[in-house]
Amino acid sequence: MSLSMALAGISLAAQPTVEKPHGFFGALATAAQWFIGLFNEGGTVFMGLLTGIIPTLVVLLTFVNALIRLIGPEKIDRLGEVAARPGLIYYPIRYLVFPALSVFFLTNPMCYTMARFLPERYKPAFYDSAVSFVHPITGLFPHANAGELFVYLGIAAGITGLGGQIGDLAVRYLLVGLVVILIRGILTEIITARMMSRRTVTEEAAA
Amino acid sequence: MTATTTTGARSGGGMSAVNNLIVKIGKSVGGVVGVLYQSGRETIDVIIRNILPFMAFIAMLIGIINKTGLGRGLAHLVAPLAGSLIGLIAISIFCAIPILSPILGPGAVIAQIVGVLLGTHIASGDIPPQYALPALFAIDSQVGCDFIPVGLALGEAEPETVEIGVPAVLTSRLVTGPLSVILAYFASIGMYQGLGK
Repeated sequence: MSLSMALAGISLAAQPTVEKPHGFFGALATAAQWFIGLFNEGGTVFMGLLTGIIPTLVVLLTFVNALIRLIGPEKIDRLGEVAARPGLIYYPIRYLVFPALSVFFLTNPMCYTMARFLPERYKPAFYDSAVSFVHPITGLFPHANAGELFVYLGIAAGITGLGGQIGDLAVRYLLVGLVVILIRGILTEIITARMMSRRTVTEEAAA
Repeated sequence: MTATTTTGARSGGGMSAVNNLIVKIGKSVGGVVGVLYQSGRETIDVIIRNILPFMAFIAMLIGIINKTGLGRGLAHLVAPLAGSLIGLIAISIFCAIPILSPILGPGAVIAQIVGVLLGTHIASGDIPPQYALPALFAIDSQVGCDFIPVGLALGEAEPETVEIGVPAVLTSRLVTGPLSVILAYFASIGMYQGLGK
């Protein structure tokens, strides 16, 4: 049956009444059929990804790239200087607004260079906060991390498969991501401070 | 030489103003078109260099998993884990274990494969769709753990900061990984009700 279908696929003129493959070569033929079937299935998946994702992505990426070029990413340098200030009210700027804008404008991995505006004790926390945002942002702004889209797209494809709208997921992913990077930034800053003070104590003891 | 130019400019004052305007418009339009063109080039570059290769590899993987029936076996394995809050928290803690997280990190390849796998199981109804959001955080608690020294170096950090920063970020993940899953779980309440089974 499978061979006859394959023959029909190869030439439409072939007679549909072909004997079922048997014997050694029959088994080989069935195995070959199964083997090529694996890749036919993969090809269908690839085509689905290509036509489903790429067209919108091309236009969206071009738009955001142009927008960033027209605004000029160097504008957020000034924000970095504000974010470096100590004090409780600067936490949301340092670990929320600043990393989010860095990831948006400079994208992964250049966004981590913005840590140069911060004092040493904030740098690990800023990195943690920025790197945790490179996936939540891809739901709405895929340009920020175009190489790692499938963390989001993979799961979003499940929702699409059920016939749901992925907008809801994208927005909530972004918003929860913002809360998470703030928490990560604050916690990592506390841990870094602890470890730094412990190190100075041991160094003094050793000296 | 200079005198001639000035007289020339003076005699055709109106003309040169128009000229300047034309030059200015031409320059700015040319600039904008250049920016747009450059953005297009960058986009196609990223698609060909980063996105298409990954799509090829993911498509091959899904094709094989679907066709060989491996998918059904994986569903039995993954669905109970990814279909409950406790299971998702367990995944996030596992991904955040300080020794494992740098291994699981590079290029987010593992997170992307697991993401695609979970997506196919959500589509097939093995995992309820409201778990999509917490799952996104559960499979990603190791994000960037492989890249801490490089990332800090990009931020011009001192070697001492890197030495402290690596363990600081890794330990922090053990807490914030599960926490992000719990946050996402509560944030996903009311999402995709009645979708699927």
